[in-house]
Amino acid sequence: MAERASDRVVRLLGLVAFLDRHEGASVEELARQFGVTSEQVMADIDTLWVSGTPGYLPYDLIDFDFSSYERGVVRLTESRNMTRPLRLSAREGVALVASLRALDAGLSGALDDERAQVVRSALAKLTAAVGDAAGTVDVSLTLAAAPEVAAALATSLREGRRLHLRYVNAADVSSERDVDPIRLVTDTDRSYLLGWCHAVEGERLFRVDRILAAHVLDEPAEHHPLAPGGGEFEPGDDGALVTVHLASQGRWIAESTPVQEVRNLDDGSFEVDLRVVSPAWLRHLVLQAANEILDVRPASVAAEVASTARAALAAYGPLADPARVRPYDEHAGA
Amino acid sequence: MATSIDPAERLLNLLIALVNTHGRMTKEQVRASVAGYADAPSDEAFERMFERDKDTLRDLGIPLVTVTDAGHGDDIGYRIDLDAYALPAIDLTAAELGVLTLAAQTWQDRTMRGDTARALTKLRAVGQGPGATDLVAGLAPRVRSGGAVFAPLLDAAQARQVVRLTYRAASTGEVRERRVEPWQLIARRGGWVLLGWDRDRGATRSFRLSRIEGSIRAVGEPGAFDAPSPEQVEQAMAAWREGPARVATLAVLPERAEATRVRAIETPPDAPDWSQDPVVGPLVVGRDVVHVAFRNAWELAEELVGYGDAVLVLDPPDVREHALQLLERAAALAPAPRVDDDVAVLEVERG
Repeated sequence: MAERASDRVVRLLGLVAFLDRHEGASVEELARQFGVTSEQVMADIDTLWVSGTPGYLPYDLIDFDFSSYERGVVRLTESRNMTRPLRLSAREGVALVASLRALDAGLSGALDDERAQVVRSALAKLTAAVGDAAGTVDVSLTLAAAPEVAAALATSLREGRRLHLRYVNAADVSSERDVDPIRLVTDTDRSYLLGWCHAVEGERLFRVDRILAAHVLDEPAEHHPLAPGGGEFEPGDDGALVTVHLASQGRWIAESTPVQEVRNLDDGSFEVDLRVVSPAWLRHLVLQAANEILDVRPASVAAEVASTARAALAAYGPLADPARVRPYDEHAGA
Repeated sequence: MATSIDPAERLLNLLIALVNTHGRMTKEQVRASVAGYADAPSDEAFERMFERDKDTLRDLGIPLVTVTDAGHGDDIGYRIDLDAYALPAIDLTAAELGVLTLAAQTWQDRTMRGDTARALTKLRAVGQGPGATDLVAGLAPRVRSGGAVFAPLLDAAQARQVVRLTYRAASTGEVRERRVEPWQLIARRGGWVLLGWDRDRGATRSFRLSRIEGSIRAVGEPGAFDAPSPEQVEQAMAAWREGPARVATLAVLPERAEATRVRAIETPPDAPDWSQDPVVGPLVVGRDVVHVAFRNAWELAEELVGYGDAVLVLDPPDVREHALQLLERAAALAPAPRVDDDVAVLEVERG
């Protein structure tokens, strides 16, 4: 997709401001600084070179040292008063401050002291520059890892070393495996480690809260080419198709679960289609969302979950007596 | 032959002209003198182009101000407020820019992602030159998109503008229009929530963004309400905050629920001996009594019911009641097969 004009203008202005502060930067250096290709930097310089104040005679234009540019070094000789760095818009400032705060509060377990300090100093400087407008957004990230596990994951990612994991899956079966870590994905609900699992010789996502123990091995992690969309929960075509009919309050399930399709019904309820590879995962989902679930199809799935629930109620014995005194209902949603 | 000028180039030239103008520039001066505008084939095309360019500059955070001058009749001129143009002095190291890059990539929402990318470009212009960027390699924090209503709600909250929104109530499924003073957007487990003052109900309310139907509309002027006091925000947030840490007591079948056991804490000194309890005693036979710390009773109950009969909540009663309620609802999803009832119970007893 072509770059938006507004994004390009910001970079054109950014280049002038940067060159004003760094005399004689190479094209490659500018490309790295602004995260674009060298070709793009040269196209930007060409544009700046013909831009200026009305009249557009030579002394009206932004100018660079030509002989130095021929050697690949960009030297700004005339800025037309455009060297002031552009302030952040309100939304830009808020968005950046909110995610830095979330990194500081939520990811500190996965950062060593030096890195945690860098997050804090960046946050302090940005907050000072943006002012108090940053309070309108509040984001929290959930690492949900034991401190030793978080530290081991962080070390292995930072140093590129293999991990030995003890992991328990959705079916409550634990196993040991060697994993080359690729990345640690953290969102507002929980975290996942994307890694190359040597036990299955493939890319796997591990829920961090199910990693029972993690040890950093001496072996370096091998580099594995990442499949397109790696680390994303894209619902695949494998697995059984299951339809769950949910009450309006169950909207969070559609948001936090990789669903194939959502159908809104007239009465405010809705249906989601899931492709289910792991029956244990589905059983857990249905049990934990049971308050919002109206129906599950096919009926065999509903029967299986209901029988699991009955077995659990039976195990509670007298504590599950239907005539028990029920405490107040704490569940006060919005 | 005049070649058509790139929109980015036209915007840049407009900005340079306005920054360098003495006093102000009128629309006519812009059209006659700024590179790119002579391309406009008609008055109407020029008007559209100029309006769009003004909006774009303002969206970028550039303080483009309108000046009317009595000496010039009622024609309107434009200039840049240079006092409000510049980023305050900020001195960022290469490492800090690396962290900011990570922060900018956190947003999954397209509009917000575009905003943070531009913010990063602005900060890179004043940062140190390129340095080690792998400082936070391998970390991928993510904030889910709040949908199409997110950016407009954020703008309204920033501008303190009242919004009209159509909301589907969680409890009843009833759809109704609300007028809300938007205070704060918070990302919590299960998605985005708007905290604000519901003008129709005269009370603090929170709204899940996923239950807002259609688009939202800002109504009235910016600055229509005062910023909420810290106490008001605190009160509105209370429902979304985690409670104080408490301890739950579980009876767990051997070698099961390891992901929960890994969080086990030592038996609190005041914990009763459950095996001696006349009601609970028989239930814990053949099970390990495990203590875990928790903050949210519902979250813990939802986690534990996933283990079926492998985990029983003994205490506290509210967590146990939540778990039992979920199990009862799940049990009702399908009728109990009458003939097989005994078999099911037998299976439970075999563990």
